[in-house]
Amino acid sequence: MNRFTIATATSYDDASAIVKSDRFALPILKAGGMDVVDHLKEGLWEPDALVDVLRAEGGAAAPIQEHREAGRSSIRLSALTTLDEIATSTLIQARCPALAQSAGSAATPQVRNVATAAGNLLQRPRCWYYRSKDFDCLKKGGDRCYAVQGLNRYHAIFGDGPCHIVHPSNLAPALMVAGGVAHLTGGDRDSIPIAKLYHTPDRGVRDEHNLKPGEVVTAITLNAAPNSGFYAIKEKQSFDWPLVMAAVALELDGTRIANARVCAGAVAPVPWMLPAVGQALRDVSIDDDAGLKAACARATQGAAPMSDNAYKLKLLPVAIRRAVLKAAGKEVE
Amino acid sequence: MPETPARAITAPDDADTQSHTPTHMPTTNRPINMGKTVADQASRLDGIAKVTGRAMYARDYYMDNSLFVAFIRCPVGVGRMVSADEDAARATPGVVEVTIDRREGTYAGQPVGRIAAESKTALRRAMRALNARWDAGECKTEIEHVMMPPPETSEAAQRALAGADHVLEAVYSTPVQTHSPLETHGAVVDHRGDRAIVYSSTQGVQAAADGLEDALALKRSQYEVRCEYIGGGFGSKLNGAGREGIAAGEVSRAHGRPASCFTDRDEDHLDTGNRPSSRTSVRVGFNNDGTIVGGHIHSWGGVGVARGGGGVDCPSGHYNLGQMQAGNESVQLNAGAPRPFRAPGWPQGKFAEELMVDEIAAICGADPLAIRLRMETSEARKEMYQLGAKLIDWNSRTANGSGRGVTKRGLGMGGTSWRRFPARAEAEVVIHRDGSVVAKTGTQDIGTGMRTVAGVLCAEHLGVPLDHVDVAIGRSTLPIGPGSGGSMTSHNVAPAMIAAAEDAKAKLLDALADTLGEPARDLDLVDGRILQRGEPVMDFAQACAKLPREQITGRGEFSRNGGAQQHLGEGTSDGVQFVDLSVDTETGVIKVNRVIAIQACGRVVCRKTAESQIIGGVIQGLSYALFEHKMLDRNTGSMVNANLEQYKILGTDDTPLIEPVLWTKGQTGVRSLGEPPTIPTAGATACALLNAIGAPVRHLPLTPDKVLDAIEEAQP
Repeated sequence: MNRFTIATATSYDDASAIVKSDRFALPILKAGGMDVVDHLKEGLWEPDALVDVLRAEGGAAAPIQEHREAGRSSIRLSALTTLDEIATSTLIQARCPALAQSAGSAATPQVRNVATAAGNLLQRPRCWYYRSKDFDCLKKGGDRCYAVQGLNRYHAIFGDGPCHIVHPSNLAPALMVAGGVAHLTGGDRDSIPIAKLYHTPDRGVRDEHNLKPGEVVTAITLNAAPNSGFYAIKEKQSFDWPLVMAAVALELDGTRIANARVCAGAVAPVPWMLPAVGQALRDVSIDDDAGLKAACARATQGAAPMSDNAYKLKLLPVAIRRAVLKAAGKEVE
Repeated sequence: MPETPARAITAPDDADTQSHTPTHMPTTNRPINMGKTVADQASRLDGIAKVTGRAMYARDYYMDNSLFVAFIRCPVGVGRMVSADEDAARATPGVVEVTIDRREGTYAGQPVGRIAAESKTALRRAMRALNARWDAGECKTEIEHVMMPPPETSEAAQRALAGADHVLEAVYSTPVQTHSPLETHGAVVDHRGDRAIVYSSTQGVQAAADGLEDALALKRSQYEVRCEYIGGGFGSKLNGAGREGIAAGEVSRAHGRPASCFTDRDEDHLDTGNRPSSRTSVRVGFNNDGTIVGGHIHSWGGVGVARGGGGVDCPSGHYNLGQMQAGNESVQLNAGAPRPFRAPGWPQGKFAEELMVDEIAAICGADPLAIRLRMETSEARKEMYQLGAKLIDWNSRTANGSGRGVTKRGLGMGGTSWRRFPARAEAEVVIHRDGSVVAKTGTQDIGTGMRTVAGVLCAEHLGVPLDHVDVAIGRSTLPIGPGSGGSMTSHNVAPAMIAAAEDAKAKLLDALADTLGEPARDLDLVDGRILQRGEPVMDFAQACAKLPREQITGRGEFSRNGGAQQHLGEGTSDGVQFVDLSVDTETGVIKVNRVIAIQACGRVVCRKTAESQIIGGVIQGLSYALFEHKMLDRNTGSMVNANLEQYKILGTDDTPLIEPVLWTKGQTGVRSLGEPPTIPTAGATACALLNAIGAPVRHLPLTPDKVLDAIEEAQP
């Protein structure tokens, strides 16, 4: 680990100003610090400054709040709200259970106590070629994706490359189905929908998000999605990254699915919306197991598994179906 | 720096224990655990030191003015160093030494040189400045890349196969498992010219000392190796001082400053040993009733750049397998060499063998318990299987794959054993005039509870409460003790320590007899009191105060053919395990619900540490069964998961209820306990999986992808 300065930002604007100033050659924003420290330890990043945003709201993050306006409900999280606060918030549990479930299934209690909402959205991928200093891969300026000819059991089954990471965020799929928006400062726009926060590797392989230098996430808002659910399939139940995950938001008319939004995680370089599945779920009864299975089977249309990860094709429909059932308030395995 | 040996800690009273003992480890109330020789109340002597952080591990020694040493390593499976800027590395501030010994490598992680610097930061900067560039060649990373077909099947085995009702042909494989101790491998050496102290993370303080004479350029009498505590030693720290210790020694001697050399986590995965991968090919003939009549089992061990060490214990000898031909070959690969790993060769072999037996049972429609009872070569294990079947509720087992519903339950079992390896052990028990007692032996406690075992044996055979005894171990200057490998520490130290305690007691009573003018034969020391013809006359401290000299030293020694044989006693290390698991048949995720581990280990010296050994063995075995897998990139030979995130190890949420059962029938002498509890776990787990889903998964680890494939194949 190299030596660096810790610059404490007193506000998000201050953080942005520090990043944009020429005070430091390579400043990196740090909130919970989970992913930053991983990068420092592996020697992947050698920043000369960590810009600490933990005090950007004066010490404690603003509480999770609900705004009701013209019959619509929206929920606001601070960028600094921790995963644990999201998972245990009775408001989120009631108004967007998929988000609470996604936060609660991430990592470990220790990590969830410090990891932040914005940090979860903007963490870098866990691809083992990216994370190892021994591989000079595309993401690090190299000339190839080692996963293509190499070991790729945890890699993408969607996307055309040239990099085959999966996006690791647990929160992103849940926010995608709940109309999540990231609020920004430091740039020429106030917000960006989560649906537009990420880009595929063909549009830039060195990073995964569309924020401009100096743009800082200050808050996240989402629509209430009381009939939503999240399901992750993990090899290990303690501290593991999902093999696949799915978030689903339903509109129910009795037991009939009137509308469904489905987003998968850990299957593509970005959170992967599955509109065809949402379409197929429409008008299916949540009690019609065969109907649900048939609809969820559509999830793998267009998938192109790599040498070691075809098993994800079997897992993805299962994760989606279970997320649907959870969204409808049913018990799952 | 803790100079005093760990102090005995008195166990809390019963009520207190109740409130602090996890209720889901219901081991204390089994009648089978009870018995005179089981020290039920003794707690680990160094437990408090460990959980409070007071225990100093070798890696914790950051000495003033210290140097740090790291190896320059080949980053690929086959590599040639085409350039390296040694001058730039040397010019890095704080760097005192840069050496490159070779410019080729045949495995990722191979040391080719080293750098010494005044800080870890300087080391990393120098490594970066060195900017070593490597050309990578074609490498072999899997057994299948290199292995030759098995030799011809003998005529006798062919006859057995020809006469059998059925023949099972199958290939079983296991991946490389790394030891992954929390404290990585290394040592700190403080060389002061004419003497040195070596703080080593080692499983053998004596062997570590033996290997350092040249590096330190000192006589054996001029230095001491210390290892008071070790953060995990599963066999990979049996390599004497290790290359890290030798490097630290050479650098400390050359510069007259302390030097620390420890691997980082990735280096630890790459270059400090492993359990080699295995492939076991079986062609086994059996009759309609499940009786195995013979066949041919051939196995390969993937030993990296080592020449041998790829043994696979299949057949294990636990079962009568008829006319079975067996062979094994080590296969060289571009990977780090193995080192002994908790029961070398056994978990691999028992995975193949137990699953093979259950596959045969499945084909015959036989009960796996019944066919084991018929083939089993040990009467003790037969009895254990019957007890285990009761405890796991074997009668509730349903036919393979017959469970209804998405989640299916399965039960499986497997057996274990271990030989006793005799080794030399010497012990001293010193009684001081102030009533304090020190039990000394030059072995070490690698987390197994050896310190506590030494203390309990001394206390019990001297006749004083455990809290009277200090234990001194972990130093090469103490009376010689065994290395902690092959499960040979406790059973070799025990006779020596018992003899030393009895010798000290006899000397104390002799001295007291002189003082009191009474015959020594009328005196005894029991529970800290001097008895005269059975009546208490004074306590231990009062007796010590009457000693004519400052101290009394009792001595004991044990070796293969001499000394203290009378304390050897009888016992075995047989055992069986039963696994109860559930499989989510849609996701392939396995949840292990419960493991019953019945284990003999001779006389149980300390119940808690013995049970802890069994629980730890099961955890390590489950981790091997479900998750652990050192993965080398097939193109470069570099390890892709050289950390503890992607190299997956069983975590708390994956750990089932584990119930150790200490088998005390016929067990009077101390026996092995370190390795046997980790031997059968993976095999029993694979059998339980077969029972749940109706198809075998023949390749570890038992990950969801393989489970789903097997379920698919099992469907008609």
